[in-house]
Amino acid sequence: MPPRISLRQARKLPPRSAVWVRAQPQRRFASSSADAPDVYDVVCVGGGPAGLSLLTGLKASPITRGLKVALIEGQDLQKTRLPRDASLETFSNRCSSLTPASVRNLQEIGAWAHVNTPRVQPYQEMQVWDGVTDARISFDWHTAKPLLSPRNPAQPTTIAYMIENLNTVTALLSRLEQLGGVDFYTSTKVNSIDLGADTEKMDFSSWPILTLSNGKRLAARLLVGADGANSPVRTFADIESRGFDYGRHGVVASLKLAGQGWGGPDHKIAYQRFLPTGPIAMLPLPGNKSTLVWSTTPERAAKLKTLSQNDFVAMVNAGFRLSPTDLEYLHTLPSGQEEEVAWREEHTPVNERAIPMQVADVQAGTVVSFPLRMRHADTYTSERVALVGDAAHTIHPLAGQGLNQGQGDAAALVRTISHAVQTGQDIGSTLALESYTSERYAENNAMLGVCDKLHRLYSVESGPLVGLRSLGLRAVDAMGPLKALFMSRAAGGS
Amino acid sequence: MAKHVRISQLQKLTSRPCHLIHPSSPTASFRCFSVLNRPTPNYEGHLPLTRTERIGLALGSGLGSFLDPRRGDLIASFGEATAQPYFIYKLRDRMLLSPTGRRILRDRPRLSSTSLDIPRLRNLAPNTVGYAYAAWLDREGVSPDTRAAVKYIDDEECAYTMQRYRECHDFYHTLVGLPVFREGEVALKAFEFANTGLPMTGLAVFSAFTLKKAEWRRFWDIYGPWATRNGAQSDDVINIYWEEELETDIDQLRARLGIEKPPDLRAMRKAEREARKKEKEASETMARAAV
Repeated sequence: MPPRISLRQARKLPPRSAVWVRAQPQRRFASSSADAPDVYDVVCVGGGPAGLSLLTGLKASPITRGLKVALIEGQDLQKTRLPRDASLETFSNRCSSLTPASVRNLQEIGAWAHVNTPRVQPYQEMQVWDGVTDARISFDWHTAKPLLSPRNPAQPTTIAYMIENLNTVTALLSRLEQLGGVDFYTSTKVNSIDLGADTEKMDFSSWPILTLSNGKRLAARLLVGADGANSPVRTFADIESRGFDYGRHGVVASLKLAGQGWGGPDHKIAYQRFLPTGPIAMLPLPGNKSTLVWSTTPERAAKLKTLSQNDFVAMVNAGFRLSPTDLEYLHTLPSGQEEEVAWREEHTPVNERAIPMQVADVQAGTVVSFPLRMRHADTYTSERVALVGDAAHTIHPLAGQGLNQGQGDAAALVRTISHAVQTGQDIGSTLALESYTSERYAENNAMLGVCDKLHRLYSVESGPLVGLRSLGLRAVDAMGPLKALFMSRAAGGS
Repeated sequence: MAKHVRISQLQKLTSRPCHLIHPSSPTASFRCFSVLNRPTPNYEGHLPLTRTERIGLALGSGLGSFLDPRRGDLIASFGEATAQPYFIYKLRDRMLLSPTGRRILRDRPRLSSTSLDIPRLRNLAPNTVGYAYAAWLDREGVSPDTRAAVKYIDDEECAYTMQRYRECHDFYHTLVGLPVFREGEVALKAFEFANTGLPMTGLAVFSAFTLKKAEWRRFWDIYGPWATRNGAQSDDVINIYWEEELETDIDQLRARLGIEKPPDLRAMRKAEREARKKEKEASETMARAAV
């Protein structure tokens, strides 16, 4: 029996007319009768950074340019686009840290030129410390260098680039429109995915057939699931995704700081403090803006969201300055955190230059939270199906690797498809797709494991482990070459 | 007598350099902390100690107070030398977790006979905390003004916590109704250790070994178990705002904190003394009768 799933949430939506951009004359495979599906080489479900990066990669390469591809996205991508002249006073609360490797990939596929550059903030230094013991490690390419040899001046000093996810998506979309040749089905849901039948004209029995909310039916030689953590494509392919909930929520917000940062506009610093409830991170955006990612318990996240703007600002400042004990008490107050934090700051000695500048304001309506999960699909491919990005894996945000992993997946899948095209294989066959899983699975799994262990290590509040982890952190901080190794791994290099 | 001289010499030795050589510039003192180069005090009366000095102070004052438990100054120094680096911070954090404890840290009230107005307390209703406190002071013949200022705790807030603990010590006596002689102090120290976790109070319990046989048995059977059970189960006594509780009913306060009052030690000792006397008399009568 063919697996069949129906998408309940899709039915709830009022039927909207699909935006269907037809950029090149459609080739006809089957007869034009109503029940025959349109046949595509690649159908990508999900127009997020990973899916768009995949399609752009396919269209940018001369080898795969000829493939017939379609994108299905539930939202109207034109509506959510970042305007070219968007004000630098407001920033989206969903930002990501793009590693140099991800940026290189975006440059190669020609999307980086479409990025709204004034809204991107490279940073050169990272300060990470233990909220219980204050043991600290700093990452910058000056202190992390091979033993006994001077730093190579040609080596870039940037650790990563802070960018709004919207900016990435808009740039990819612009590049994709420039390249052309993609059938966009936006504001369109997938109602169901079934296996096709053996018809007279063509044997679709191993092909996924998608029924869209606008009544269209598409047959996919390769169906790509870039449809997020609850991937319907993964469910269709019957791929198990294993993992657990962290019991933590990530609270994000767009913040305005008292100044440009301690390093000035040309040397930006990212900060992360490990609290027993989870890490709190402040990442630089252009000017005096910053973005917050605070992993904390669901109860505390809910409390933070109910606070007034002034109290929320005080809590963020407290998160980088005050003791875990004070934070525990502050979360029990219904209001008045601002005053309480001001008193505690008088009695808590901190080196102001080692922590982010005081937060001055929070952009209204940007305080939201989402649950943190760790999931990893058993495999990324099956017959005529491949998974990329969050559909394949979700990760704790403490190392800012989620979006970068998706970009890595997309680039690897483009390479796999292009190899299959070059060698004349069926791009949907498990054999052709095999190299994609083998290239990405172990690497993603290692990163998932490292972030998970770090989360566990720093959840401990007291005991000998606290002393040991502080000792280890200080030791790594003192060992330049080892630090350089970690940094290059986190930067997406090898 | 010789031992007292030695210990006071040690104290002088540890405290003299900080009086004489105060750092001239804070940057220089920051670089190298030694006997010759002390950092600036963090609060008035603060004497920063090096690690060696701290260990020396702990050993010296510990031994001194074990040999002569009436030396309150040595007990105070011992308490400060052993409370850092970990325990006093934990106690401060316990205060920070309680709304009242936070209020105490914010207001930083100091207890003295003038701030408490002892004559007024004597006129309160007999069931109040204030009356019981004044009565206890009169009965034991002590005054709240004999408490030394904290000087060896490095963090100013923790120094206040230590000061507060010390000044409230007499209130703990009142609360549990234990007298000041050795047997009562040991039981109260055991209670305080279970409640505050300060190492000095725990180590002071070891002086139970110096108790007389009958006292030791009482401690082992009655007061020791009472102290550990109540100290661990009741709310933190450091978080009581005594200045605001003076007119509270003392039994209500005990009930609120979850403290059972131990048997009256003075009464028990008296009863035992009388029993012994009677026994002696009885045996003497018996002996006479036998003759």
